[in-house]
Amino acid sequence: MQPMGNEKPGPTNFPGRPASPFLSSGPVVEKTGPPNFPGRPASPPFAAPIPFLSPVPAENEKPGPPTFLGRPLSPFVAAPQTTMTTVPSFSGPVAAGSEASGYRAAPPVRFNGPSMPFSHQPLPDVVGDFQRFPIPSYPSSIQSVTTIHGLPSAGQPMLTQPGLPSPGGQQQQAFPPPINFRPQPPQPQIPSVLMRPPPQSSNFMPRGSVPPLPLESSFPGPKPNLQSSIMHGYPNRQTTPVSNVPLGQAASPFITTQQGGFVHPTMGAPPLGMNSREQLQYPGVGPPVGVQSLVEDFSSLTVGSVPGSMDPGIDSKALPRPLDGDVEPDSYFQMYPLNCHPKYLRLTSPAIPNSQSLLSRWHLPLGAVVHPLAEASDGEEVPIVNFGPTGIIRCRRCRTYVNPYVTFTDGGRKWRCNICALLNDVPGDYFSLLDASGRRCDADQRPELMKGSVEFVAPTEYMVRPPMPPLYFFLIDVSLSAVRSGMLETVAKTIKSCLDDLPGFPRTQIGFLTFDSALHFYNMKSSLTQPQMMVVADLDDIFVPLPDDLLVNLSESRSVVDAFLDSLPSMFQDNVNIESAFGPALKAAFMVMSQLGGKLLIFQSTLPSLGIGRLKLRGDDIRVYGTDKEHALRIPEDPFYKQMAADLTKYQIGVNVYAFSDRYSDIASLGTLAKYTGGQVYYYPSFQGGTHKEKLSYELARDLTRETAWESVMRVRCGKGVRFTTYHGHFMLRSTDLLALPAVDCDKAFAMQLSLEETLLTTQTVYIQVALLYTSSSGERRIRVHTAAAPVVSDLGEMYRHADTGSLVCLLSRLAIEKTLSHKLEDARHAIQLRIVKGLREYRNLYAVQHRLGGRMIFPESLKFLPLYGLALLKSIPIRGGYADVQLDERCAAGFNVMILPVKRLLKALYPTLIRIDEYLAKATTSADDLGNFSKRLPLSAESLDARGLYIYDDGFRIIIWFGRMLSSNITTSLLGVDLSGIPDLSKVSLCEHDNHISRKLMGILKRFRESDPSFYQLCHLVRQGEQPRESLLLLFNLIEDQSGGTVGYVDWIQQIHRQVQQSA
Amino acid sequence: MLVWLFSFFLLIALLGLLIFQLMSLADLEFDYINPYDSALRINSVVLPEFITQGVLCLLFLLSGHWFMFLLCAPNLYYNFRLYTRRQHLVDVTEIFNMLDWEKKQRFVKLIYTVILLFFSIFWMVWTALEDD
Repeated sequence: MQPMGNEKPGPTNFPGRPASPFLSSGPVVEKTGPPNFPGRPASPPFAAPIPFLSPVPAENEKPGPPTFLGRPLSPFVAAPQTTMTTVPSFSGPVAAGSEASGYRAAPPVRFNGPSMPFSHQPLPDVVGDFQRFPIPSYPSSIQSVTTIHGLPSAGQPMLTQPGLPSPGGQQQQAFPPPINFRPQPPQPQIPSVLMRPPPQSSNFMPRGSVPPLPLESSFPGPKPNLQSSIMHGYPNRQTTPVSNVPLGQAASPFITTQQGGFVHPTMGAPPLGMNSREQLQYPGVGPPVGVQSLVEDFSSLTVGSVPGSMDPGIDSKALPRPLDGDVEPDSYFQMYPLNCHPKYLRLTSPAIPNSQSLLSRWHLPLGAVVHPLAEASDGEEVPIVNFGPTGIIRCRRCRTYVNPYVTFTDGGRKWRCNICALLNDVPGDYFSLLDASGRRCDADQRPELMKGSVEFVAPTEYMVRPPMPPLYFFLIDVSLSAVRSGMLETVAKTIKSCLDDLPGFPRTQIGFLTFDSALHFYNMKSSLTQPQMMVVADLDDIFVPLPDDLLVNLSESRSVVDAFLDSLPSMFQDNVNIESAFGPALKAAFMVMSQLGGKLLIFQSTLPSLGIGRLKLRGDDIRVYGTDKEHALRIPEDPFYKQMAADLTKYQIGVNVYAFSDRYSDIASLGTLAKYTGGQVYYYPSFQGGTHKEKLSYELARDLTRETAWESVMRVRCGKGVRFTTYHGHFMLRSTDLLALPAVDCDKAFAMQLSLEETLLTTQTVYIQVALLYTSSSGERRIRVHTAAAPVVSDLGEMYRHADTGSLVCLLSRLAIEKTLSHKLEDARHAIQLRIVKGLREYRNLYAVQHRLGGRMIFPESLKFLPLYGLALLKSIPIRGGYADVQLDERCAAGFNVMILPVKRLLKALYPTLIRIDEYLAKATTSADDLGNFSKRLPLSAESLDARGLYIYDDGFRIIIWFGRMLSSNITTSLLGVDLSGIPDLSKVSLCEHDNHISRKLMGILKRFRESDPSFYQLCHLVRQGEQPRESLLLLFNLIEDQSGGTVGYVDWIQQIHRQVQQSA
Repeated sequence: MLVWLFSFFLLIALLGLLIFQLMSLADLEFDYINPYDSALRINSVVLPEFITQGVLCLLFLLSGHWFMFLLCAPNLYYNFRLYTRRQHLVDVTEIFNMLDWEKKQRFVKLIYTVILLFFSIFWMVWTALEDD
């Protein structure tokens, strides 16, 4: 049995290894540890019927502390919203008993008077505490309370009322339990609506972590906690929730939550805060005031009531707009504070459906967006853990890495894998005693047990070869157009300026190859003073003229490399060759690099015209659009490119393509090289050294100097019953779930879809673990592991409530772009719209029964921006229009870009920033920090533009500055040095700093914008109002809320969606 | 008689090629083999499979067994269409996304070929009995 796991990259892998079909077994293994796991699953990995969470209840009965460690069984309680605590008396035990799930239902009853003297503890601490010391923390006083109420017994009957997924969570359904239960007659209520955080605090918390049922009966201790809050204040005051309803407490959390929270206790917390927020946010939009509206759990928009009337019936100002940018979903991060930060991993719905039928009703894609190397902000760097000789602690069956959610038992001698529930031995070196709560005594010193994101230093078993040095190979087109456009000169200069900053000194290797109709190799041996050029003109039978010295160690050959880069532009300045032997050059580069792998940067400024891989002009045919052959334009024409991409990946070569042509250069084919090698496509249409120089050199410099993970593989593991099936992004699949990434960096994100393998999930929590095994530039083999937990829910409403628009849009857009590769653009657009409509329709159905929805369009608060982003997606470059709307190359390049963008940048590209800055500039005293106070983001509509203003539009790829027609000439003169009227064509003007505060301030703003999004350089375009066609092209077409050129505006879009949602609703 | 014997062997060969491809795909799915090798193995037998199938059709056509030829024709047309669209080879970069389809397609072919084989054996026996 060979030890190599798949995640061991390297040319030599893939020994025919007997993998097992099971999720967990060998294949999964980054490296199947030879000793541990010799015979391939001698024990069929999952055959053993170990229910996922089974351990928990079992362990409860003997309330052994170990169980509680870091297992947020009831995540919801932990969330801060827990504020809604519960009517302890019935709810606690009842819910616990009745729910099959382990969630501590915290029924949201707010009976506590406002005057409750509870101190609300800051959440994180609380959570931490309870997880660590759940039991000890129970105050004894509380226990006595319990006895008083004698609730336990009462709780049992409740079992009959399992939290059924009555979809809407009707009140009646929700309430019966309490009523039956509550022997006391309804007490006078406390009418005040409690908005303040309820008293649940620390003592409640412990409860949450305690597993459900068994505990109740056998171990009364904890129960009291739930009730404690009530007890404190109003022991006798509890009333049946029913009586509350009529009172119609506006936006009372109680009512709100009952729909989701009470019936499905799991979900309790979040809606609470939400509802009140909604009310605040859309004061005008809200439903007509009435009792009914008070209990609504959704946001709504009033949409034209009279069919056929001209009045759209929508107040466009009231439409939701993401003017605050992307908001990371914090609710589930708070539920599971040990999760990795959402910037590394975001689920489209952090609430995982528990059955396939539920999943099929969700309609929107269920999946995740993983951004494994996202840039960490200061102070939040991923900790590095070195286990040394102990070896990395992993589950021996499913190969999961040790993480904060594993539980230690048996006095610390064993640990239970949170993903497959297998009991593993703790290696002697790793042993630590457990404290009374079952938590390891040394947990605080062990980041892998405290943090969702860690990096392990991998020992030699994780290598098939010594870690490779960082290697950069440049394949540069030196034909006429490359020289003439200034590309060659800019590239040479930029590379030279970056030589000092290339990662991995002193091991970094570098090499160059230039080509036009012949290939030029360069011998850079360190003993030479000048590089030697060797020309190979035979394109049919490519050979490498020199076995070594084409790739050299940068630090040794530095002077030769410098000399080469200095002379490169002049060497070819008189070149009149217009041919491009791209294919042969690529093969030659492949041969040179195949020993080591590395990063291949391709600079291409014409259509490949000679030798293997030559391409045709095929983008010009307008007749193809709208036919079944349309999609063929967007996929590589010649199988050579796919084959090369596969070979490059196999030898650990990542490709970044820089394309510069002003004419068609078949980005669809060239980009394929980047697509399957984890690379990136940079496209500079009509590159002109003068104007685009800064952009190119910034982006090339970033590409060269950003931290890069070499020869890496990534695998995402998740618990039994769920599986990631399809992956979307730039990588190559090396086995069903192993992503090969020859070179990956902080600018690449990957999306994937989750599917359920079992019809019904029996677990209450799904754990997801992303593992990226890579070689760092410093030559160390490392594994970056991100772990997250997500609750399993049985209620569709919960899924909607927790949905994450950002990752949803990210996944949707990638699916749409993949669709354009096999279908017409129109089909892709239609598919997006259909998904949104279906999703909203299902949601509407949830509420249509009990609420008079009338002409209102309803949507969950969490998805309020979905329609807008959907519209933006339809109007985005890769998907919009037809032949004339976007150049084919531009469309393909943008498509490749969307496939790698992380959530935040994608959202910014879809709904760019538009702000007005003239007032800010005109004020003499303000500093750059005040910008936020002065200008807020505006809706992307022409109505936002005022002829007297100066506006900045920033989509992350470029910045457009729009000069209003009546803008004070003072500002323009200060910015441009001359009056606006003196400039016939603004496209020729570049912005530079002038010696006045207005100009300085503007440059300050631009700098800040660029720093906020460092992955691309935002080139600045100036445009004047009324300057056609530039104004339309640059700005007006991008104001996505407006109707333009055959596309719908936001208001119409909402109406359209609304109509379709209602059809057959 | 000779024709039937010959077609019998061709069909057996066809079956063998299809089973080999299906096995390669299954190995890939269970991670016994990497996609490069899998694609290489499958692609190396795709053309032989198509040619064998073509020869079989030709054999039936020339020997005047119209019924059998008509039975074979759809498969021939399908192969021809794949070939002209250059979709006959598996694509190593997309092999995992196409896995289900590739398997299904080959499985249908397999069943189809087995049916042909039965017919062929039937006719072979029939003619053998008639000859006697």
